[in-house]
Amino acid sequence: MSESIMNEKIKNFFKILCQTEWNATVSGIIVALLSILIMAWWRPWGAVGAVRNWGEWILYGIGIFSHKPGGVLFSSGSVIGVGFLAGAFVSACLGNDFSFKFPPPWELVKAVIAGILMGIGAAFAGGCNVGGMYNAIGNLAANGFTMWLGLVIGVILGLKYIYWEMEHITWGTSGGKNIDFPYALKIILGIAAFAAVIWGGYHYAGMNDAYKASLSGILLISAGLGYTMQRGRWCMVQAFREPHMTGDCTLAKSVALSILIVAIGCAVLKYAVPQRGSAVAVQSVLMDAVGDLDPEEIKDPDLADTVEDVVDASEQAVVVARRVLDPVNYVRGTFGWGGVLGGFLFGLGAMFAGGCGTGTLWRVGEGQIKLWLVVPFFGISNAIMVHWFKAIHMEGVGPTHVGSKLGKHIYLPDVLGYGGTIALIVFAMVAWYIIVDWNEESNKLIVEM
Amino acid sequence: MSDYKKAPEGLEVARTLDAKGLSCPMPLLRTKKEIGKINSGEILEVLGTDPGSRNDIPGWCARAGHEYLGEIEDEGFIRFYIKKK
Repeated sequence: MSESIMNEKIKNFFKILCQTEWNATVSGIIVALLSILIMAWWRPWGAVGAVRNWGEWILYGIGIFSHKPGGVLFSSGSVIGVGFLAGAFVSACLGNDFSFKFPPPWELVKAVIAGILMGIGAAFAGGCNVGGMYNAIGNLAANGFTMWLGLVIGVILGLKYIYWEMEHITWGTSGGKNIDFPYALKIILGIAAFAAVIWGGYHYAGMNDAYKASLSGILLISAGLGYTMQRGRWCMVQAFREPHMTGDCTLAKSVALSILIVAIGCAVLKYAVPQRGSAVAVQSVLMDAVGDLDPEEIKDPDLADTVEDVVDASEQAVVVARRVLDPVNYVRGTFGWGGVLGGFLFGLGAMFAGGCGTGTLWRVGEGQIKLWLVVPFFGISNAIMVHWFKAIHMEGVGPTHVGSKLGKHIYLPDVLGYGGTIALIVFAMVAWYIIVDWNEESNKLIVEM
Repeated sequence: MSDYKKAPEGLEVARTLDAKGLSCPMPLLRTKKEIGKINSGEILEVLGTDPGSRNDIPGWCARAGHEYLGEIEDEGFIRFYIKKK
């Protein structure tokens, strides 16, 4: 008797973990926590870095790019994408969502247009919906807000286009096919992919090269992000679209909450905390070792100079070690027309695709062939645009984008302080939350068919 | 997965929409358009393959006031049934 109860509980647990769609709020909180963890591990995450790397490989393969791109499995941007896809695939297999879903032909045409628009948009905005908006606001960067604005406009226009399309385009809009597999096979594939991710994590961790060894956490955390987003069907373009389409604001509220959590987490990581473990360690190891040195007691002037430099550098090291993450991370020179135009083009493209940067990737993981076609075009157009922008210094030069033609590089705490920045983000996210909630009742912002 | 509402067998449908292979948001938008072509009290059948539809369609029905009768799993796709308000 108790054995059968135990079996039932195990089945229920598997069902909750791997089969039922996760609640949007819970998914948003988990995505935020993983986004903070990956920053604490090394760097913020984004989707376009991976997609661009894959696009560069295609361009290199057909002879357009002469420089060999970073390795798919050895550049952090691409590993984020690989981990994310693997996580989404594991989730789609275990939850029986995976199958090859072949869309009608017109959807494939839209996929090509979508990919190109998303690639261009992500170049102007300095990232996709994650790196340019979600994680940009989360990283306390002003440019996240300009992309947010552009996304709203692009998604509304995209929705109007789709309404128009449904009235006027009849060619190739039906005849989709689905190739399914036995559930048992999917479970085996899911477990195999999960095992591959774990093996990959161990494999990276064992490498001698510092960069490669650090990819272990990147792979594992990204896989967690892909798993969570597929399981929760957590889609940012839906968060922007649904309030204007059906009025449903579940995902918009969840994204607002998620951004706020990332911003608070990021503020903690970017703030210089004097008592932070790394700073204390550097202080005790380095400063205690060189602190007794007095350059004035050294007769040889060259040696005295060197000792003085060492003491200065050690003091600097203590200051740097107070921050877990360099504030410059994910702050782009696109606070201005670049962010708005980029968001607009990206939002429009995402409406054609039916998924944003991440929404596209996790749908790839569940076998949606339309999104399989979006990815290469997204990658190629973004690689070409970024390559060209670099050549003409479109986004300025250096980590602070001096002379950017796309907009300003603004790290919000430099202007508002950390308190003011968090207050601004709280205000913006609460306003978004209340407006979409009000719209769900009043339907004032719905674009009618 | 057994939490999804099952539709009774043998429903008499006024219209069938083939949304197989379509991904978000097309299945729901097509459904919204197609329901305009049937009369109140009649049933629309939607054939779909997007896992998102299993929540989107019932959610939209509740919002729009149509009665969601449930789904039936077929070979490689799902049949959704909606009774127009």
